[in-house]
Amino acid sequence: MKRWQRDSGLSARMFLTMFMLFVLYIVFIGVLDYLGLPLGTILLVAGVMLFAQYYYSDKMVLYSTGARVVTESEEPGLHEIVSRLCIEADLPKPRIAVVNSSVPNAFATGRSPKKALVAVTTALTQRLDRNEVAAVLAHELTHVKNRDVMVLTIASFFSTIAFFLVRYLIFFGGSRRGGGQIMIAWVASIAVWIVSSLLIRALSRYREFAADRGAAIITGHPSHLVSALMKISGSMDRVPTEDLRKAEGMNAFYIIPVISKSSIMALFSTHPPLKKRVAALEKISREMELA
Amino acid sequence: MKLFDALLGRTKLKKPKIEALFALSTAYISLEALGFKPGGVSGICFKPVESSRFSELESNLRELLQLSASETGTTCQFKTDEYNYNWIILSDEDFEDLVTTTHLISETVIEHDFEERLLCSIFTFGDVYLIYSYKEGSFYPFAPLADRKRDGNLEFRLRSAMEGELPIEKELEKWHPLWGIPF
Repeated sequence: MKRWQRDSGLSARMFLTMFMLFVLYIVFIGVLDYLGLPLGTILLVAGVMLFAQYYYSDKMVLYSTGARVVTESEEPGLHEIVSRLCIEADLPKPRIAVVNSSVPNAFATGRSPKKALVAVTTALTQRLDRNEVAAVLAHELTHVKNRDVMVLTIASFFSTIAFFLVRYLIFFGGSRRGGGQIMIAWVASIAVWIVSSLLIRALSRYREFAADRGAAIITGHPSHLVSALMKISGSMDRVPTEDLRKAEGMNAFYIIPVISKSSIMALFSTHPPLKKRVAALEKISREMELA
Repeated sequence: MKLFDALLGRTKLKKPKIEALFALSTAYISLEALGFKPGGVSGICFKPVESSRFSELESNLRELLQLSASETGTTCQFKTDEYNYNWIILSDEDFEDLVTTTHLISETVIEHDFEERLLCSIFTFGDVYLIYSYKEGSFYPFAPLADRKRDGNLEFRLRSAMEGELPIEKELEKWHPLWGIPF
């Protein structure tokens, strides 16, 4: 691995975030167990739900976004770009889908590289040139390569449990157990939910940086991703509101928006601000020159 | 370590393997005997990088090719395709020279530290292309038809002819097509 391809700081921050989540969750389990909540049932129900969401992530996203899988003869250009990127990145070729939308955007989903799906909106292919589309697709393929759907599903597992406990714990209590214990569990759940959400968002942002870096490495052209990001964010301001609302509804469909889809733009706080992403890419570009 | 890299979000590209290319300099004889006549053309496909050192590589390659042209009579052409990949297209009636020069160019790209940019090299055998994947170090056939279809029949015929002669790409999903090969 060349020097410019590495970012030890980013990897360290990612590791630290995951470690903090892990510790937080262990403590959370301890507290729930101590308070005598039916831990087994909670874990089982949440586990089944999250696994289903993870397992069917591609189908759910296809359904909720209205993305249509396109064949090689329908979209020869997209297929050719993805094929070549897959050779570079040593990935099996994912399915490619197109979403009819006037917002230029892209996302990747699927439980494993073999089941991966990469989707772009019609506006993306219309407004970006071939190099920029390739850079965006390389970013999405890096999400696939880094198994971001899996990482974020696991990372948000107990956060989801905490979220449900916050909402439904009231109904648990009442008769058998003391109200005080339920209250403590409820407060603990709120705390875990808030802290873990922040950590998950931080993790998600780090993984966006990693995907940007991956795109630069795979394409060899950090500047192509920079110009793609600029174009996408530029046209973000001009988008009709219905599409944005639609996009938000799509996110509400998932308990945590980042779980099954990672969209390329800084629409939500799950993504780092554009300025920072561009600065990081420019740094890679400089390092490439010096390497 | 693959999973660990994925967890920490590191992107590593596979290093190229070029030694298996030499297998072709003997295997072509048996392929010819089975009806796959080697064409006198080969192409090396690689992705340019935005770096001044890359233009250095290009000028070095041109010098090298001029030198080898005077020795072996291999002629060459530089092309950029519509997806912005670079192609060096070599022609030589002597198939062994063609393989040697292809290997030499690949080696030069590696020496200049751009080894990860090598995508594939391609040889023609009658109507079918034989693609060498640097990342896998293996060969696979590619027979394009009109309208982005592939002649699977012909591909598998060439595949069986290659059996025991060349390292064949075992995973069919890695038989990536390359449409619009510029030769």
